[in-house]
Amino acid sequence: MDKTKKRKNKIYIGNKAFDVVLIIFMLLMCVIFLYPFLNVLSVSFSSNSMITTGQVTFFPREFNLESYKVLFDAENILRAYGNTIVIAAATTILNLVLNSLVAYVLMVPEFCLKKPLSIIILITMFFTGGTVPTYLLIQNLGLLNSWWALILPNAVSAYNIFLYKAFFKGISPEIREAAKIDGAGELTILTRIYAPLSKALYATFGLFSVVGVWNNYYEALLYIKDADKQPIQMILRKIVFSFTTTSMGDAQAMIGHGKLNQLSVQYACIIAAILPILCIYPFVQKYFAQGMQVGAVKG
Amino acid sequence: MGKKSKKAASSSVIAASPKTSFWKTLCKQRTLLLMLLPGLLLLIIFKYVPMYGILISFKNYKSSKGVWGSAWLDPLFKNFITFFKNVNCWNIIWNTVKVGVMTMLFTFPAPIIFALLLNEVRGKYMKKSIQTISYIPHFISIVVICSMLNGFGSTTGLFNDIREFFGMARVDMNNGSTYFMLEYVGSAVWQTIGWGSIVYLSALTNIDTSLYDVANIDGANRWQKVKNIAWPAIVPTTTVMLIMNVGQILNADFTKILLMQNDTNRSQLDVIATFVYQKGIVEGKFSYSTAVNLFSSIVCCILVFGTNMIIRKTNPENSLW
Repeated sequence: MDKTKKRKNKIYIGNKAFDVVLIIFMLLMCVIFLYPFLNVLSVSFSSNSMITTGQVTFFPREFNLESYKVLFDAENILRAYGNTIVIAAATTILNLVLNSLVAYVLMVPEFCLKKPLSIIILITMFFTGGTVPTYLLIQNLGLLNSWWALILPNAVSAYNIFLYKAFFKGISPEIREAAKIDGAGELTILTRIYAPLSKALYATFGLFSVVGVWNNYYEALLYIKDADKQPIQMILRKIVFSFTTTSMGDAQAMIGHGKLNQLSVQYACIIAAILPILCIYPFVQKYFAQGMQVGAVKG
Repeated sequence: MGKKSKKAASSSVIAASPKTSFWKTLCKQRTLLLMLLPGLLLLIIFKYVPMYGILISFKNYKSSKGVWGSAWLDPLFKNFITFFKNVNCWNIIWNTVKVGVMTMLFTFPAPIIFALLLNEVRGKYMKKSIQTISYIPHFISIVVICSMLNGFGSTTGLFNDIREFFGMARVDMNNGSTYFMLEYVGSAVWQTIGWGSIVYLSALTNIDTSLYDVANIDGANRWQKVKNIAWPAIVPTTTVMLIMNVGQILNADFTKILLMQNDTNRSQLDVIATFVYQKGIVEGKFSYSTAVNLFSSIVCCILVFGTNMIIRKTNPENSLW
């Protein structure tokens, strides 16, 4: 009896110690997740002398807005925001409408082409044409240098279709039958019954699509040549990776004279590129996790 | 409208066997067909036409003649032969494998360990907060990640501040390829550890709590509970994720490598995908580039099927198909 008590006591102390170590470890992880952003933010607001001597850590030192001034003078950040928003809106609307339409039809049990079309869509999940054939297609369609080249290929996704379908299947088929008896057409059933019941799913996929477009640079690199049409990520790429060759005349001179730090201009651009995402994140993160869980369980 | 759909429903019951009425059924279900058409068309245009375009890896593609009109190569596998005769070929393949294996070695187990540890955290609020914070890196674009790596690796950047703190000299980490793997894999783990743990955490929350009650009565310690309750619960998810990861091993995140390359390290960092981009898009050797891409896709397929076969032989229940 005494022995088991001792053992239980030992486990209790071990548990407590483990809990403490675990919490410290997790807090450390949180610092690792967040600190890079904080560092970028404070450097972007700090003065050149503080940055070069490595004194900027958690907070800006010798606070100034010079980097942002230079950045917004040299690049039309607002236009890049506008471009990205237009592309994101178009992609997301098409994405939500087209995917759920396809998914609804594939869910209808009596639809006669259900099997073959499902297979046709499934295949696209596993095989792709690759970079060059897709590029040639875009070229042949005359979509080079057009936003449609970024919008249309991303408008339909097999993965999303199957998730919608799985979700729609979970809605009782009796509701659909009843609506049909009342004289509702298929489109009405989808827009009036199925879509409102799947609001969470629509929200999740909408957000995924917006974030996906916001973060996409590669397709713009391939297809968009005009500087006026570039999305925000391409501007960032230009500022960071070809800084010395950009035509930022004044900025170059200022950097040369030690009045401005190159790093802080680059960081200012990073902040400009992530700020919208970080601002909406706290409000939408619960949808993200929910959507991912739907994918994990049913996908 | 109502009458039509009612008829469609009743006719589909009758039309189960005779083949002649298939078109009649289709005609009755034309509303459904119309609803599906725009999505299906986009899918066929943007997914299937490029698949057909793979044919150019066996052809001498001329844009004026199109995919079908271009002449077949002689010998048919000329592009593949050219690739394997390229002096750099094995270097590129080796780089691809190295990046893929190193990435998987760390990004695959990290979310599992993180999920198991997070599952041990007491307090629902605490757990939720850590989770929420850990997802943030996932939503950061690859350009931002590479820009940050570029900045942190510069002589006045964060990485060098840390180096100095530990008494090491400041070096330009963007120069050359010494720090490439560390930065590439490290940032990949940073980005995926939280988000990747979601699937495992949802498997862990489905565990029957009575299992834990029984373990407590038996006097099991934390480690024994993790080993005998939590771990078995996530094994099926782990295997599925493993198969999916192996399929991605040659698909190094090349958009990231493309950004991390500079003049000092380009030759050391070339992987198959950057080679495809360089030859195809930059130099305009469409057929050759497509052939190299096809080669890597085929290897991917073999890897996925191979892994699945091994798993099916050892434990049939966990295999993907």
